[in-house]
This record gives sequence, structure tokens and C-alpha cells, in this order.
Amino acid sequence: MKKFLGFLFVLMLALFSVACSGDNDSNAGNEGKSAKSSEEAGDKEITIAIDQNFITLDPHNAGDTVSIFGIRSMYEGLVSFDENMEIIPALAESYEISDDALTYTFKLREDVTFHDGEPFNAEAVKVNFDRIMDDANNLSAKRSLQFVDSLEVINDNEVAFKLNEPFSAMINKFAMVPMISPKAIEEGTKYVEGNPVGTGTFKFVEWKQGTILEVEKNEDYWGGDQTNVAKVIFSPVPENGSRVAMLKTGEADFVYPMPQQNVKEFENSDDVTIDESPSTIARYVSINTFKDPYSDLKVRQAMNHAVDKEAYLQVVKDGFGHVLDSTMSSETQYYSKQEPYEFDIEKAKALLKEAGYEDGFEAEIWGNTSSETIKGMEFIKQQLAQVNIDVTIKSMEEGTLSDEIYTPEKPEDAKVQMWYVSWSPSSGDADGATRGLFSSEYFPPNGANTAYFDNDQVTNWIKEANATADTKKQEEIYTDLQRTVYSEAPWIFLATDINLAGRSNNLEGVYVAPDGSVNISKAQVK
Amino acid sequence: MWQYLVKRIISLIPLLLVVSFVVFMFIHIIPGDPARLLAGKEATVEEVEMARQSLGLDKPLYEQYFVYLKGLLSGDLGYSIKSGAPVSKLIGDRILPTLGLTFLSILWALIVGILLGIISAVFRNRWPDHLGMFTAVSGISLPNFWVGLVLIQLFSVQLGIFPTGGADGWKSYIMPSFALGAGIMAMIARFTRSSLVDSMKQDYIRMGRAKGLGSGSIVFGHALKNSLIPVVTVAGLQFGFLLGGSVVVETVFSFPGLGTLLIDSIQFRDYPVVQAEILLFAVQFILVNLLIDIVYSFLNPKIRYE
Repeated sequence: MKKFLGFLFVLMLALFSVACSGDNDSNAGNEGKSAKSSEEAGDKEITIAIDQNFITLDPHNAGDTVSIFGIRSMYEGLVSFDENMEIIPALAESYEISDDALTYTFKLREDVTFHDGEPFNAEAVKVNFDRIMDDANNLSAKRSLQFVDSLEVINDNEVAFKLNEPFSAMINKFAMVPMISPKAIEEGTKYVEGNPVGTGTFKFVEWKQGTILEVEKNEDYWGGDQTNVAKVIFSPVPENGSRVAMLKTGEADFVYPMPQQNVKEFENSDDVTIDESPSTIARYVSINTFKDPYSDLKVRQAMNHAVDKEAYLQVVKDGFGHVLDSTMSSETQYYSKQEPYEFDIEKAKALLKEAGYEDGFEAEIWGNTSSETIKGMEFIKQQLAQVNIDVTIKSMEEGTLSDEIYTPEKPEDAKVQMWYVSWSPSSGDADGATRGLFSSEYFPPNGANTAYFDNDQVTNWIKEANATADTKKQEEIYTDLQRTVYSEAPWIFLATDINLAGRSNNLEGVYVAPDGSVNISKAQVK
Repeated sequence: MWQYLVKRIISLIPLLLVVSFVVFMFIHIIPGDPARLLAGKEATVEEVEMARQSLGLDKPLYEQYFVYLKGLLSGDLGYSIKSGAPVSKLIGDRILPTLGLTFLSILWALIVGILLGIISAVFRNRWPDHLGMFTAVSGISLPNFWVGLVLIQLFSVQLGIFPTGGADGWKSYIMPSFALGAGIMAMIARFTRSSLVDSMKQDYIRMGRAKGLGSGSIVFGHALKNSLIPVVTVAGLQFGFLLGGSVVVETVFSFPGLGTLLIDSIQFRDYPVVQAEILLFAVQFILVNLLIDIVYSFLNPKIRYE
């Protein structure tokens, strides 16, 4: 009996120790191991591992990046974004904007059919428009069309949108409104959510909530043969280490985001390339300019001079980022480069002395609970300590934080002093990167001007830029605006992101756009 | 016994009402506004207000509770605020994988844990015991996300035996259930050992030895059954916990379980999903406790329920 038990025991122990010892000797074989891909079988199927679940596949009701790019694999709008987020024609051959910026006329392509065989025409645009504008449907795409008053069907292949006020970002917003087959819309919202029918290069196959989204090549795509991939599987894998492991095992052919701390592992890899692409995400600390001592421009400038942005990039972003040298990322429309606040402790101290805060003051910084945010806030605390600003870090769970920031009715009720946060305009336009952030009409709870930045000139500029259809004029205004806001320092300007993706070398044509969306429409497997 | 069962099950109803009320109040009282989160960061007050109205969140709390209760009693769990999908579907999609993972984890933890416990007790204070308990302590101390990542590195990246994650086929259940069960196995081993060591000191064991029974018959025939009551308690409680899903292990293995759904929903203040899930956990926990009580009576016939 004892012998038998002893044997069992040794066996179990052996099994357990095998399982646990993997960590030590596992690194050795990594480098040479090939990322075997599913293409070996010749069926040209790729898997894309991403960090979040799809929330919805209703193209008129998606707000998160992941849902949006999942949808974009199957749907198209009248116009769309290219890889630099410039507007290019899609379902519309061309468009015209009237001089008063109130009428947008689109000439539609005539050779397009939806995946279910329905023709794409002016009537289809109308059905989509009506669906979005119907209050009962309560769709988020309505916000993209908030300035649209009506839609006029001119003929079978021409439509005109009439605006009730000019809006400089309008054309970008049309790229945010994909067209659904009228027949699918007829079936109702529940049907649309579960059965995407668009015009894109890929067709819907299956979506298992919380696991995968599967799409297959649309052989009848109007734009011809864009891809040689028969099937694409999007697989949400939230854990960084697991996502990276999938790239190593070949279970995934494209991984986004690639965790910055894992990039080194692939430096000498023959099978995997790390793709870096610019991002529209701007990282900053908003300073409540309504509160003392932050109401003093010198104090805010001193804070900007006290933070070493290059060190920030190294410490917090592992070197993957650029200094934020304007109020928006370089990938945003009408971006204009400013001279960054140089890191100069003496200058910061002198400015604080002029402002009467030679001995510094106590401050509070808020942020969410993500480890990168906490690291960033600790960095700011340490930097500002050099000029005797004693920062207390308050890290709050996202829902609570959002409540604290957005519920105060009046600027004087706001408790926030500094907020460590990021911003990216959803459609890459200058209006989205300024109006909600710097117009005095957009203090919380009405908008995201959490710096309570109050400058009449800036508020007027924002209105002026919207009121004109002249892009030259718009560019001038936004250039002036960026210069003014940057010099007024309502933020500590930190960095813009770099999008990092891991790609198997036999895959090409898949890329991450500046807004963080993965584009597969031209995927090619070698 | 049957009468007792029926009584226990009927007593579930008031308990669940209380749970539903407490959960509802707590989730609504904590700060955070799903209307704001739904409307997005660029939303204006009007848009947030519109979202709030469409969600019915502008009504007084007691009214919202009765609407919820009415739906609940007619079997309607409502719709997710975040995705608009029916809550029953969201939970339904994840309940089977979670159940499968839970059963597998508990099963191997019980088998290995009890065996390890027996070996340690039989060889008490000798090297098999020390090694066994070392294994058990390791099982408890190693964080399960770490075990998970090590398993992925070894069995997926190096050996290519198991997939890194997902819930497709039995292969994808092996590593997560190992990571989840390791701690429980260790706990069961320790409880089995100490309980069995106690039993072995009892008079009836000495009596058995005096009668000349073999060690196998003493351990398996007499001592073990009496030692299993605390083990069943521990295993049962762990079983209940696992049914709620494990956020950490689900995240590491991208496993579509209930744990990550709950955390996502709490972060988004997705009230209907949170309420339904916690209610489900309450039911599961109560049923597991009932099951434990029944197992007691099998292990020790002196325990009778009227």
C-alpha cells in the first residue's frame, strides 16, 4: 500500500514540477522558433489579436475604436479615411461643398451592391439617414449628423445633405457613418446588430460575443480584387502576455496593441516585424485655470518648464512616443507645430518666484487606475517636486473619476486641479481636437474643457472656423488657435503616442491607422 | 430529506428578493453614471440627458427597482446598457464555458488534493510528507496569473501542445483549469492531511489496528470518510467562488467567462448585467451550499436533515 502511494506521489510531483519549471528554461528556444501561420495550409486565413472585446456591430451605434474597426472591415461610408486619416472617396465618387458650407452634395457610385445583393443608391442613403435621425432609435451616429437638417434625393445617384449651421469637420463625420443594406434596416435594430450587411471588402460570417468576429472575403467587391485573404478572425485577447504569445506561436498573424515592454523580444526575429505608426492620441495634464494658483499664467508655464518631456517618454512610454508640440497630435487635421516648453528648472523657479510662489504650493493630480497612468502621475509628482510643488496623487476608478470631473455644474464647484488624461478626436478633425477642449462654451458638464480654459478669442475662432467652407481660412484660424492655446499653457503638454503592432512577416497590407483602428481591407498573405 | 430540500429551495425566494434589492441599491449608489459613459467624452449635457432618459435612469430609484423587479419576475433580465444585447444572451453565452472550467478545475483539484493529503498523512513527518506539503504551499503561494503565463510560455509557445486561449474544444480548457485548480488543490491537500492525521489518532483507528486491519483498509475504509467533512466544506466554497468566474485567469487565457463580464459591466456601470450576474452568483452559491449539506449526510449518516 505504502509503495503504491509513494509511487503515485512521486508521479504527481514530477508532473507538477514539469509544469512549474517552464519559466526558467523557456526563453532559450524562443528566438529561433518560427511563427507558424495558418497559411501553411494554403487556405489564406489570418487571425488578428486585439486587446478589447467588440461591443456592438451596429455601425450606427458604435463608439469604441474596436467596434468601429470591426465594422469597417464589412462596411463603408460615402467617404472614408486613408492610412493618414485623410478623406478619400468611397461609396461616393465625388462630393461638393457649397460656398456657404451648408450643402454637401454627393455623387454616388453606380456599380455597388450590398452583400445581400441589394443595390446601393440614393434611396439606400435615404433609408440609412432616416434610421439615424429617428429619435426612437437613439443611435450614436446621430451625433455625427447633429448639424444635418435634411437629406435631399436629387436623382438615383445623387444626394444632398443640408446643414442648419456650418461645421468644418462635417466631411470627416460622413466617414463615420457606414451604409447598411436597406433590407437589413427593414428587419429592425436587433437584426442589424447580429447580421451586418454592408458593401466592404469583407463579409460577415460569425460573431461570438466575448470571443471572436469572423469575416470572409467579399468576392464581388466593387473596387476589384483588393485582398488574397479568404478569412479573417478578430480575436480579443486582453492580457498583454497572452497576446504576445499568440504571435510567437503563430496563432495570431497580427497583434495590436503590441505592449511596448515586449518589443525587444522581437528585435532579432525573422518571423515578426514590429510596425510603428503615428497616433492621434495626445497625452497631457489638464490644469484647472479657474483655480488659484493655476489661474496665473506664469505658474502654468513654470509647470510646463519643470517637466522633462524626453525623460517622460523614456520612463513612462519606453521611448515609444513623441513630445506633444501642439494642442493636438501631428496626425490631426490642421496641426501646426509649436516650440515645446524646454525643460529648464531654473526658468521654472524664476517664473514661480515672479508669480509669488517661490516656496511652491500643494497640488493634487487625478487619474484613472491603469498602471501607465499611475506611472505617469508619479513621474509628474517627482518632476514638479523639483520646483517645490508638492503633488498628491489621487487615482480613481474610471466611472468615479468621470463623475467627479463631469458633474460639477459651475466652474467654481469643480474640485479637479490637475487631470492626467489623453484625448484623440474620433474622426481626426481639428474641430474634434479643439472645440470640446478649449471653447468656453464647453466647460463640464457640457464638454471636456476640464482646464476651464476661458479665452474669448479662441472661442470665437472655433466658431469662425466652422462658419467657413474655405479650407485655407480654416487652416489659418487653427494655426493661430494652436499658437495661442499653447502659449497660454492650460495643459502640461506631454506626448503623442506611437501605435505599436506585431505582424507576421508573411502578412502585408494590414495596418493601424492614427486613430488606433486596424485596417484589413488590403490584407495580402505571401 | 425531500421535504427538507423543498423547504430549502422555497426559502431561496425571499433571500433572492433581498439580494436583488441590496445589489440594485448598491450598484446605483456608487458614483459613476452609465448615461455619461454611454454618451461618451464628447457629449453635451443634452446628449447625456437624452441617454439617461432612454435608459430610464431619470426616474426615481424605487420606480426603477420595481420596473426591474417586474421584468425579473417575468423572466426578463433586460438589455445591456453598453452593447444593447439582451442580458440573458450575454450571460448565456458565457455560463457554459464557466461551468465547464469550474467542474474541470474542482475535479482535478479534488482528486490530486485528496491523494496528496492522504500521502502526506500516511507518511507524516517523513520526506513524502514534507515534499507533499511543499507542493501544496507552492500551489497556494504561486499567483494563478503567473502560473497561467508560465503555462502559456511552456505548453503553447515552446511545445505548441495547447492553444494560448479561447474556449474552443477541450484543449483550451486544460491550462486555465490547471491554473485555477492549483490553489484549490493545495488547500484541499492541507485540509485532507490535517483532518486525516486527526482521525488516525482516534480510538476507532487504534481498535482497527488492534483487530489487525491492513493500513489500506484503515485509511480508505475508516479514517478517510470521517476526515472528508472539512474537505467538502472547503471544496464546496471554492466551487461556489469559481462559478462566479475568475477575472485573472479568464483574462490571461482570453477565456469567455462570467468573471470578466462582471468586471467590464461594473466598470461601465452596466446595471442590468451586474444585477443579473450577482443574482445568478447568489443562486449558485445557495445551491452549492445545499449540495454541501447533502454530501455531509452521505459522509456522516449521523447528520440528518428534517
